[in-house]
Amino acid sequence: MTLLDVQNVTVNFGGIVALDGLSFAIEEGHICGLIGPNGAGKTTMFNVVSRIYQPTAGSVLYRGTELLHVPAHGIARLGIARTFQNLALFPTMSLLENVMVGAHSQGRIGFLRAITRIGAAADNRRTRDFAGDLLQQLGLGHLAFRPAAGLPFGTLKRLEIARALASRPKFLLMDEPAAGLPHGEVDELGHTIQSIRDEFALTVLLVEHHMSMVMAISDRVVAMEFGRKIADGTPTEVQSNPAVIEAYLGSPT
Amino acid sequence: MSLPIHLRSGGLPSWAIRVGATLSVAGLLLWIPTHGSDSLIDTCTTATMLMAAAMSLNLLLGFTGQISLGHSAFFGIGVYTTAIGVTRWGWSPFVTLPVAFAVAFVVGVLVSLPALRIKGVYLALVTLALGLVFPAFVKWPKIEWLTNGSRGLDKTGFKFNKANPTYELFGWNPWGNLRGQNVKPFYFWVGVSIVALVYLVCRGIVKSRMGRSLVAIRDNSTAAAVMGVNLAVTKGIVFGLSAAMCALPGSLSAIRTGTVTPDSALLTVAGSITFLVIMVVGGSGSLWGPVLGAVVYQFIIERTSGWSDPNRIPGAVRPLFSWSDVAPGSGIFALTLILLMFFAPFGIVGLWHKAVATVVTVVPKPAGTASVVHQETAPPES
Repeated sequence: MTLLDVQNVTVNFGGIVALDGLSFAIEEGHICGLIGPNGAGKTTMFNVVSRIYQPTAGSVLYRGTELLHVPAHGIARLGIARTFQNLALFPTMSLLENVMVGAHSQGRIGFLRAITRIGAAADNRRTRDFAGDLLQQLGLGHLAFRPAAGLPFGTLKRLEIARALASRPKFLLMDEPAAGLPHGEVDELGHTIQSIRDEFALTVLLVEHHMSMVMAISDRVVAMEFGRKIADGTPTEVQSNPAVIEAYLGSPT
Repeated sequence: MSLPIHLRSGGLPSWAIRVGATLSVAGLLLWIPTHGSDSLIDTCTTATMLMAAAMSLNLLLGFTGQISLGHSAFFGIGVYTTAIGVTRWGWSPFVTLPVAFAVAFVVGVLVSLPALRIKGVYLALVTLALGLVFPAFVKWPKIEWLTNGSRGLDKTGFKFNKANPTYELFGWNPWGNLRGQNVKPFYFWVGVSIVALVYLVCRGIVKSRMGRSLVAIRDNSTAAAVMGVNLAVTKGIVFGLSAAMCALPGSLSAIRTGTVTPDSALLTVAGSITFLVIMVVGGSGSLWGPVLGAVVYQFIIERTSGWSDPNRIPGAVRPLFSWSDVAPGSGIFALTLILLMFFAPFGIVGLWHKAVATVVTVVPKPAGTASVVHQETAPPES
């Protein structure tokens, strides 16, 4: 079943065309790798799905719902979560609180109930335990009460994943989760992604430059260049696609 | 025993400390109106007004990261709602408190509308305009029939008469004599009640899902939106609440002094700056920061109020301040601000946390349903 259906999405920044009629679809339960040289429009695509950018044309259907009619804060409630390429954490908060904010869309306590404290303590306890469990699961439990600022990049990348999982997503977009990780940890991260996909019944859209990892864990790979799709298929098909080879290595003249 | 001592959060010693601290605050609150001098009670009442105003600003700026230089206008809305209600329509002064709250809430939400699209310096400028416009608006000839223009209004206070007798609690009277001789303790208690109310509202929000979303907006609003935080609605409500809470001490000020004029200090932009500096000196983004900041501010102002006359400056510091022919209180406070920004960017509360962390560390309860795994404690804030 198709989970996400991107149709003819075009994004213009002034005169620059960041996405040029991009179309692709993701099947439920798949890990879909999105590859392409720098500037191909991968992160722009993420920002369209998470409603940070408004495309000039096209449509993005998620389980038949037009995402372009959903406000940015409504995305989490639909079951879509994402991580950020350059970290978008809450630096003054502890790791635990970061993950608790990730569970925002799961909560029911508004201003009135917070002020009158009706059910607020129980909600805090529930969210706190849930967030604590997620941190344990990603191997960050021992750092739960440390502020996010100042921790190593790799740790914070894992924290981004934990925070994204806190919204109990069905669809997880990961923007270069392996960037900045030492080589040995990249494979480990690949296993983590596969295991959370299985455990949380996720569909994953993965932007990544570590080709070995993308090819190893993806069910499908979409290759982009200059805001357009140049190839789409299984990892082996895409790897041998001449257009992809040319995009990465240049044409043999 | 090696320092710091580790205390488990929720354990008996940590509860004992909390109960002890609460009792000391309660004891101090009871001591001031019963044993303190009149001028001490006055100082403390003024301090409670500044506390409430700075706390309301703290919810908006300290926690949510939305700057406002227009809080003097919200304070002024409180002042004028009460003054107009009492003098023009004959309301009881205390009926005007909830009305002022509601009016300021609406104005606050309206002001937040531009705030949804702008931030930082631009938001500071928009709210600064509000602070500047307020005194001019009150003096606008077309609404003079309501506000009495620059002459202001008087008899806005509480009329103490036979209908308001002295209330005794077990033969002991913390309220003051309400027949008109000494009503200072009474205003003190009103001030304390307002602070308590504002504190409980702020605390309830800060320690909840909404409080976390406020700090998330401050730290990274894009990420907050992706987590499902409705930026527009959240900012709007916080702006409204902050404005509404700031109007309460404004109402008290009109009730207490009995006269209002559009150019009194806290109604102009100087008032906004005062609230802001109190919040920062006390510790922005902390629940107790504005309380401590207001106490320190008001006591410095009171202690140095006579210093415009060099002969009244204590000998040791006389050479420092004798050149000035105005009371140097705000100057000293400004100097405190500069020093604090260098040595304690998180204000008095930050200093306090640092000092306490060398003696006692509170270990949070482990989070999670799984069997307890070792969790590192938070290091002292650096």
